[in-house]
Amino acid sequence: MNDTDLRTEARVFGRYLVGEAPSEVLVERYRAANHAIPAVQGDDAVVAYTRQHPWSVSLLDAAAGLVASGSLLRKKLLVMTAIVETTPELATKTEPRVVGLPQLAVRLGVAGVRTAFEVTAGLALSAVVKRRG
Amino acid sequence: MPLIEAGRAVRMLDVGNAGGRYPMPDGPFEQVRRTDPDQHRYLLGDHFEGIALEDLGIGAHLTPPRQFVCEDADRLQPVASTSFFPLHSLAVGGLAGAWGAGAPCFVESDFAGFPIGFADLAPHYETVASRIGINGTRDDLWPFLGQLAALQPAVEIDHNGATILGRYERARDKANRRALYLGRPRLAMLTQPLRGRSANRLWDTDFWSDTGGSVYRPSSTVDELRASSRFELVTRKLVVDFVERDGWVEITARDVDTNQLETHRARTLVLGAGTLGTTRVVLRSLARAGARVPIVCNPHTYMPMLNLNQLGKPIRDARHSLAQACMVYAPDGLERPFTVGHIYSYRSLLMFRLMKDTPLPHREGLEILRHLSPNFAVMILQHADHPTPAKYCELAGEKFTVEYASSTSEQAANLGVESAIAKSLLRIRCVKLRAHHAGHATSTHFAGTLPMTDRDEPLTTDRDGKLRGTRAVYVVDGSVFPTLPSKGLTFTMMANANRIATKLARA
Repeated sequence: MNDTDLRTEARVFGRYLVGEAPSEVLVERYRAANHAIPAVQGDDAVVAYTRQHPWSVSLLDAAAGLVASGSLLRKKLLVMTAIVETTPELATKTEPRVVGLPQLAVRLGVAGVRTAFEVTAGLALSAVVKRRG
Repeated sequence: MPLIEAGRAVRMLDVGNAGGRYPMPDGPFEQVRRTDPDQHRYLLGDHFEGIALEDLGIGAHLTPPRQFVCEDADRLQPVASTSFFPLHSLAVGGLAGAWGAGAPCFVESDFAGFPIGFADLAPHYETVASRIGINGTRDDLWPFLGQLAALQPAVEIDHNGATILGRYERARDKANRRALYLGRPRLAMLTQPLRGRSANRLWDTDFWSDTGGSVYRPSSTVDELRASSRFELVTRKLVVDFVERDGWVEITARDVDTNQLETHRARTLVLGAGTLGTTRVVLRSLARAGARVPIVCNPHTYMPMLNLNQLGKPIRDARHSLAQACMVYAPDGLERPFTVGHIYSYRSLLMFRLMKDTPLPHREGLEILRHLSPNFAVMILQHADHPTPAKYCELAGEKFTVEYASSTSEQAANLGVESAIAKSLLRIRCVKLRAHHAGHATSTHFAGTLPMTDRDEPLTTDRDGKLRGTRAVYVVDGSVFPTLPSKGLTFTMMANANRIATKLARA
C-alpha cells in the first residue's frame, strides 16, 4: 500500500462523508487503520478512480452498496466513517438527531432522492471504471 | 460462596484474563463523545479491532474494552468445526464479563426435561439476587420471568422503552389476544448501591465501561471471595484433566505462560469452566476417546424494528445501554414453552456498525441513520433448543470438535414464531425491518453436554451436579442443563451453582 494514496483517500473520503477536509490527525489515523486491518489492504480500479476523481465517490459508493457490498471501496469508506464518528470535533455531524416529523420526512426524502440518483449514475460509472481497469 | 461461608477452603484455578486496557473517562456517553480526543482508543481500539468488517455474528457486541473476554481462548482451547464458531472465554468470570445482564428465572415450563424444578431453585434465586443485585418489577411479565422477591426497583427506561411500553398499555388487550406480552426486563444491574457497587448512572456506557460496577460481573464476586483467607485464586492455570485417587481428586493444570504442568489436590472438584471448557476436561479425564456428547445452544436472531411511537418525539439522554423492554410471545400460555425477546435502543454502539449492514451510500446512510436511529429498537430473540444427534461435541486426542445443525422443522418453527411476533408487534406500532439469523453459537448460551438426569448414564450428572462415574467431581455450569428454554441461562446457572455448593457445604 502506498501511504500517499492512503492519505489522498482519507482526504477524499472524509470530505465526502462530512463535507469538510479531515484534520491531519484523522488522515494519519486512516493511514494507520489501513495498515492494521487486513480486509482493507490492497487497491483496485474503483478505489484508484475515486482518488483521481473525488466527485465520483458518492456515485461509486451508492452503486457498490447495491451490487458489491463487500467491495474494497465500501470497506474503506466504513473505516473512514468509523474514524470520523469517533472524533469529538465532528460529533455534531455524526451523532443521532431528533427533529419533528415534517422535517424528518423532508430530510429522509431528500436523502432518498439523492441516493436514487447516485445509485443510477453510479451503476453506469462503475461499469465504465471496471472496464477501463 | 456457600463453601467459603461454611468454612471450607476453596482454591480456584483459572486462566483469569482481565480487562482494563481501554479505560474510558467517567461521564455520559454523549458528553465523552464531544470532548475526549482519545475516544478512538476505546471506541475503535489501538489496532482498530473494534471495526469488524466481517458478517455480524459471534461477538458482534464485543467492543474493544470487552474483547479481553475472549482473549487466548481460540489459541489455548481451539474448537474444530464446520458449523459452530463459539465465543468462549478464559477471563475472570467467563463470558459474563461481556454479557447483557438479562436475569430472568426459569419458570416451571422451562424445566421440561430437567430432574429439578423451580421449587428446587427458588431459594437460590433469592440468595443470588440478593448477592448480585437484580432489578425488575411486577408487571405483565411476572408469570413468565418467575417469582423473585429480592428485586431492586426497576431501572429507568429510555424513550424507546417508554413509548413502546406506553403503546402496549393502551393496546394491551389487542396485543395479548395475539399472544404478545411486554414489560420490564430483569437485569443484573443495580438501581441501589450493593456490596460496594454503585447504582447505574444512566450514562449509556455499559458496553464500554464498568465504572461503579452497576452491571454485575462475576469478577466482583471473585474480588469478594479473595477477601477471605479461606479462598485462594491461582491464575494463569488451565485445567487439563483430573483423576480420582483414594480419598482425593488430583487435578492437572498447565501454566499458560510457562507451559509447565502441575498438580493440585482436593477433596472435591467443582468444575465451572463454562460448557465447552468443562466438557473438554471431562472427556479428557474419563478417557472416552471419540465419545460424543450432546450440545444445545439458543438460536439467535437480531430483529431491528422501527418504533413508530417514537417518531418526532424527544429522546432521553440519560439512559443505560442494556435492554429497555422485554417481550414474551406465548401463544399457548404459561404452561407451554414461550419465546422471550429483549428490546434494545441503539446509540452507544455508533452508526458505523449499522452502516456495515445497510446498502445505503455512506454519506446518505449516515444522514438517514442519524435521524432514524433514535426510533430504532433491536429485539434479540433466543429460541429454545433441544438435543439432537446433529448437535454434538467430541474429543479425539487433542482435537475438540463441535458440530451443530438445526433441522428443517426446527428452523421452520423458529421462523414461524418470528413471523407471528413481527405481526403481533405491528399492534404496538413496531415495524420489523429485517431478521438477521446469526450463526450457530452467536447467542453464547451453550449447554447440555453433561446433562443432569435421573438416568444412570455415562457422561451425565445427577440432580445434584455430581458427575456420574466419579465420587467427588461436580459440575456447576451450563453443561448440566439438558435443554435450553428461550431465556438467558446465566442467572439460573448461578442459582443452580449456589444450590450444588450449598449441598456440598452441608455434606
